[in-house]
Amino acid sequence: MLLIAGTVPVPEMPLVLSPAHWEGDCLRLAEYDLPYTQGTMAMVSAALATTSYLGLPPPHVLTAGDIGTGSGTRLIYDYLAEHIEELHPEVLALHYCQPIIALMKKLYEAVSQLSSPPRLVADAGSMYAAKAANLSPHFDIFTPDPSEIAFLADFEASHPAYISRYLFENMEEKVTDLIEKAYACQGASKVLLVKGKVDYVAKEGKILHEIQEPNIPAMECIGGTGDTITGMVAAFLSGELDPEEAAVLAAKANRAAAEIVKPTPATRVSAIIDAFPQVFKENLCAWSGICIR
Amino acid sequence: MVIGWFWKKRHELSEEVLERGLVLFHTVEQAIAGEKALKKAGITCRLVAPPPHLRKGCDVGVEIVLMEQTAVEKVLKEAGTPFIEVVHPKGERELLNIEKVTRLDNYVMVKAGNMKLTFDKNTGIIVNISGGGCPDIPYLYSQLVDKHLEEVTRPKELGRTLCALMLDRGWERALALWKGEELCSS
Repeated sequence: MLLIAGTVPVPEMPLVLSPAHWEGDCLRLAEYDLPYTQGTMAMVSAALATTSYLGLPPPHVLTAGDIGTGSGTRLIYDYLAEHIEELHPEVLALHYCQPIIALMKKLYEAVSQLSSPPRLVADAGSMYAAKAANLSPHFDIFTPDPSEIAFLADFEASHPAYISRYLFENMEEKVTDLIEKAYACQGASKVLLVKGKVDYVAKEGKILHEIQEPNIPAMECIGGTGDTITGMVAAFLSGELDPEEAAVLAAKANRAAAEIVKPTPATRVSAIIDAFPQVFKENLCAWSGICIR
Repeated sequence: MVIGWFWKKRHELSEEVLERGLVLFHTVEQAIAGEKALKKAGITCRLVAPPPHLRKGCDVGVEIVLMEQTAVEKVLKEAGTPFIEVVHPKGERELLNIEKVTRLDNYVMVKAGNMKLTFDKNTGIIVNISGGGCPDIPYLYSQLVDKHLEEVTRPKELGRTLCALMLDRGWERALALWKGEELCSS
């Protein structure tokens, strides 16, 4: 089972655990319809598009409302820590949550006691918490953008808002150095997919892949286009691909979707997600040998 | 399945802190009033003695979760409690205070830290927000996108986290660009 855990910006949303499915233009979780905009639901939507195409079970989603108070985050992490054994996901992907170090440590402690621990994916606030808790090397894959790789490379920083100025300046040009630094200071996961003008896939300190084409600058403006990559990575992992291959496919698919959509900076991420089935149909077999008839 | 779950009492500050920040005040009276206002607003905090190198006012400060800096400043301002500043515990880190501006056809993207805000240079409408990882960012996206730069409630008034504070800086720069700086296509 692929389990995605992250908050949604709906204050009154209780803790919900449900498989995701489409209901018109909305994602449906239990009796809740949620728009697939920037954040956890963009990630879930991309994961669902991927699992649907591959004929895999849909992602299960553990979510709760949180608009920055940490309330939903606590519900999610406490529930996960207490129930991880019975949930026994093969892949656990942690997303938009308040970065609370104690909760991350508690969850990791529970995960590490499992006889067959899940593949661990983290992005957004959960990635910040994993790094701050010194747990990065235990995660299979992080999916930072250039500002976040600067954060992972800055041993002292507690949040990307506090990264050193010298790391922030010209960070897009220094990504390869930042990747090296992140591994050196134990801020990196086993595999890194750094999303940006060039997508870098690194493993154990070495950059193995650079995906540059097609380069569509408007994508950087669009909220959720990083979340879609993370969702696809998690879904590919649930199909038993290794993190390196999952990262490469997700990076290529995001770019190919942009090429189809031809976005402007005002485009919504839902348009990109809607293009994934076509992207997979046209490319996945050639890219990976995964051929769906 | 919807899981019935009891709201848990917030843990003690020492158990949950990602990193601590410190609010500095001019007087002990202000520090006490500040702590009272913050606790009333549900913000985890406690009165502490600032380390010597951080003492700028009185010998009492309020320790907070640094992540909640935006919410802390907002509550203190609303309560009318004067404070000097919020500082990083080691006193050697400052919030990023540089922004990068990128022009794409009819749009301008302002990047501040891990946050990006893009607006239409002809209309002043915010068309997208990207980046960040704190839970209030998707909420801010829903509150700001498709609205005019001059008509929105500023991000640090709506959000609570450091991501919101970075977005606020991006919005502030975007507003300045909209109001006065020449917007040339590049």
